[in-house]
Amino acid sequence: MASFGKIARRTFLIGSAAVAGGVAFGVYAYRKPVENPLLAELEPGETTLNPFVLIDADGVTLITPRGDVGQGAISIQTYLLAEELDVDPQTVRTSFGPASGAYYNGKVAAEGMPFAAWDAGFLSTQARKAAGPAGKFIGLHITGGSTTVPDMYDRLRAAGASARETLKLAAANRFTLTPEDLKTEGGQVLLPNGDAIPYADLAAEAAALDPVSVEPRAPESWTWLGKPARRTDIVAKSTGTFRYGGDLVLDDMIHATVVTNPAMGGGVVSHDDSAARAMRGILDILPITDGFAVLADNDWRAMKAARAIDVDWGTPEGRLASSAEMWEAHAAAFTEENRDSRFADDGDVEAAPGNLVTAEYRVPFLHHAPLEPANATVRYRPERTEVWTATQVPIFVRDAVAAITGQEAEAVTVHNLASGGSFGHRLDYLWVQQAAEIAVQVPGRPVRLTLSREQDMTHGFLRPMAIARGRGTVENGTVRSLDLSIAAHSVTESQIGRAGLPAAGPDIAIVAAAWDAPYAIPDRRVTGYRVPAGVAVSSWRSVGASHNGFFFETFLDELIAEAGADPVEERLRLIHDPASRNVLATVADMASWTGPLGDGTGRGVAFTYAFGVPCAQIIEVSDTGRGIRLDKLWIAADVGRVLDPVNLESQLTGGALFGLGHAIHSEITFEDHTIQQRNYHEYEGMRLWQTPEVEVRALETLPTIRGAGEPGLPPAAPALANAIFAATGTRLREMPFARTVTFA
Amino acid sequence: MRLTVDGTEHELDVEPDMPLLWLLRDELGLHGPKYGCGIAACGACTVHLDGLAVRACQITAEEVEGAEVTTIEGLGTPDAPHPVQQAWIEEQVAQCGYCQSGQIMQAASLLALNPAPTDAEIDAAMSGNLCRCASYPRIRAAIRRAIQSEGA
Amino acid sequence: MRSTLALLALTFALPAAAQGFDPIAEVLLHPRCANCHVGDDGIPLWSTDAGGTRPHGFHVQGGESRMGIETVPCSACHTERNGTLPGSAPGAEGWALPPVEMQWAARTPAQICEQLKDPERNGGRTIAEVADHVSHDPLVLWGWDPGPGREPAPGTPEETVAAILAWADAGAPCP
Repeated sequence: MASFGKIARRTFLIGSAAVAGGVAFGVYAYRKPVENPLLAELEPGETTLNPFVLIDADGVTLITPRGDVGQGAISIQTYLLAEELDVDPQTVRTSFGPASGAYYNGKVAAEGMPFAAWDAGFLSTQARKAAGPAGKFIGLHITGGSTTVPDMYDRLRAAGASARETLKLAAANRFTLTPEDLKTEGGQVLLPNGDAIPYADLAAEAAALDPVSVEPRAPESWTWLGKPARRTDIVAKSTGTFRYGGDLVLDDMIHATVVTNPAMGGGVVSHDDSAARAMRGILDILPITDGFAVLADNDWRAMKAARAIDVDWGTPEGRLASSAEMWEAHAAAFTEENRDSRFADDGDVEAAPGNLVTAEYRVPFLHHAPLEPANATVRYRPERTEVWTATQVPIFVRDAVAAITGQEAEAVTVHNLASGGSFGHRLDYLWVQQAAEIAVQVPGRPVRLTLSREQDMTHGFLRPMAIARGRGTVENGTVRSLDLSIAAHSVTESQIGRAGLPAAGPDIAIVAAAWDAPYAIPDRRVTGYRVPAGVAVSSWRSVGASHNGFFFETFLDELIAEAGADPVEERLRLIHDPASRNVLATVADMASWTGPLGDGTGRGVAFTYAFGVPCAQIIEVSDTGRGIRLDKLWIAADVGRVLDPVNLESQLTGGALFGLGHAIHSEITFEDHTIQQRNYHEYEGMRLWQTPEVEVRALETLPTIRGAGEPGLPPAAPALANAIFAATGTRLREMPFARTVTFA
Repeated sequence: MRLTVDGTEHELDVEPDMPLLWLLRDELGLHGPKYGCGIAACGACTVHLDGLAVRACQITAEEVEGAEVTTIEGLGTPDAPHPVQQAWIEEQVAQCGYCQSGQIMQAASLLALNPAPTDAEIDAAMSGNLCRCASYPRIRAAIRRAIQSEGA
Repeated sequence: MRSTLALLALTFALPAAAQGFDPIAEVLLHPRCANCHVGDDGIPLWSTDAGGTRPHGFHVQGGESRMGIETVPCSACHTERNGTLPGSAPGAEGWALPPVEMQWAARTPAQICEQLKDPERNGGRTIAEVADHVSHDPLVLWGWDPGPGREPAPGTPEETVAAILAWADAGAPCP
């Protein structure tokens, strides 16, 4: 196939006919050539049947437009297409395709609406339907929000089915047969006489036909989906042969790193780079925004020289400098002026009877800190700029690079790459902009920028710090009222702002998974307060639910304890949503929940409904005398339909353990505008020895298929905090927990 | 300086303080070992030095003069994976996969020295290798599988 | 014995060395020394920014050999020289935990003082040999050259040797 450098990046919106119905239901007809971004610059001998299928003389290439950050996006998108197209998922070639509005995400916008995922009422359903196309019309080619499977489940199967049937029609026409006479297998059309015609032989004829519309196959007839599947990248990732952005080598490539003001945006007062310039292998030191780039023939030489530049950094203005000041600002933000939302307001929390319980909770800033340091390779030429990087937002990257090179967006090609983790980090692209700033200063030569871990860690886009204040009452052994107020920066405002777009209205992230928790508490109110913008904040695995699951479920646990009720029984009594109740009952069954254990052991339960997935977890801990040990974690979640049980388990488990590692160990703090944590020795996460045994059960009762990258995280930290309370009587109201208790 | 990597002898002219990791990656073009932290805090760069798992980001060129280094790509190949790699494939350990070269090299060294480690010994040997995706339950399963297959 | 002491005293002739154990204890209990002179759990300590200590990260264990467990020896990360980045593995020749009988962690200066005089618990050394050890052992000397981001042990090796000799001359009194 053509490298995508040869395929024009068009910003046009795909015609309505091309993907009509793609948001919600399967079949869509691909009609006009301009609707398919792959058509723009096909090489001779190449054919495309729709935006997801490209065929050349060597066979089929599947386009898997959602970025792969470790969640298995390439693999699942390949299986969704291959299941219909009848190609071997292990050997078929794949590509992320160009940055294009054709690959819009129809689910992200829908989930941003202020309607609870469990709410299937008329208004919420209509609102979601209306929001889906919004993603299409703004061409939001984005990976995130656990939407890859929900968004691609119907679209890719429909694309694969349409391509298959169109190829069969082409064969039928050539051999004067009917499509019903034909079968497909292994990338070939099988004729009744036993002859096998490779798709590549039929592609040109198929492309001349009107694409055939057909319903995707019924799950009962699936070959690969719905059962444990071998990830398509698993052999390469187990043999060291998988190549990441930092492994890219191009002819005449320059190795680069950057050093920018640790107080982000503070600029440079003066500097002396003479020692650095004299070091071996250093080609040049160039100015970039907020600092310098070192160009060298080797990453280590570049990083060593970067440390040798003597810089007098400036101080940013208009921002708070230290964590202490930021905590003060958050504590002072619970005012009418800062009130951002009150989506939940049932009964009258002010007048609710019963014994009053109050508590305040705090969570710190966090970094995504994926293991692969941020990197990007850019080659600038006046006629075309090429970018190789791992990104969740290829269109934003393309436009940001074009703004630096001064070219039209169409003159910038983004080759998306699989990444060594993200957790939301690669929704940002500052390092791509830095690579572009370098590249325009050395036209024609590819520049591979790799950030040092220290540069990456100290220039993070962070999960916001947040404070929650809970006020509730209990009476007659039950929870009567719950009033939760949450103050945080707006992730949406900060993140969308970096893309140069306005974000209007309340930010649902501030209260996500708290306002819509499906508990029928008689008097219930959830209020979000927006702390005025400060440091850059970002979507961090499960976004607002990452703190609100902790706030809501730990406070609810305090109320239940005050009421003298059982943590599982009282939750089951309060939950009004059947799927949610089922999930909680399931996890209680898995753990054989029997109430308190005693003897220095304790169990905690938590339940959240985030990203459309009800998820309940129980954690068992024991007090070893040397600290708290996590013994066992049970997870139950309803995702509607399981496509790959192995990867689903990995995602739910990984989400929970990621949440636990940060809850126990991690925080990002500021002094003098500067992040204090520079590397993993100061930002510890979950390690093998602290990992509990994990048991997962996935349920399939929801009417809609859901993604699992994020929903496993929100209930993990509160389940742990509640377990530690059960074991020791200590309530944990601040992360990281290791500040309050010792862990073994 | 001279050293042998994955069975091939090399002669190089590099600074004595260049860590082995960048010598492998940028001078020899061997990209199996990864840069994650540069301070021995993540284990993504783990290689075998004369048979023992070490952090390639800490060992310098002058310290590996004449040594035999094995990287993940010298341990086994996609067509002929090492038993530990095979176990990693069967258990589908990798998510993003970035740490897994190091995890596998550490596990292979563990099993070479201790063919039947206890759970506690696995915990002790493997906790220097950070997996931000937290694939740990499957790492444990893969090591147990490798023990079984080796013993079979 | 006296001659060796005299020779060392000459070599490290420094003004007004204190005769008591306090200045020696200040060095021995400094985190650069005490973090490795741990008990039979064999778990080295790390200093925290808050001024305390915590167990070495990564579940690291010195093991019975005190040189790491067989599958993760100290030398998997610690080379013969300090890493150059903050947080990188420090190094010196023979990186390992001291023998368990030389445990100082959770002990008082008085206990450590007695320990230092006891050949059973000081590596079979005379006090002069202890002083000599301080002046020559690469791992002990590392305490004063611990690499970036770590506070060195107080004073200098020479001052510590002089303090030990002065203390010995005064009859090696313990607090």
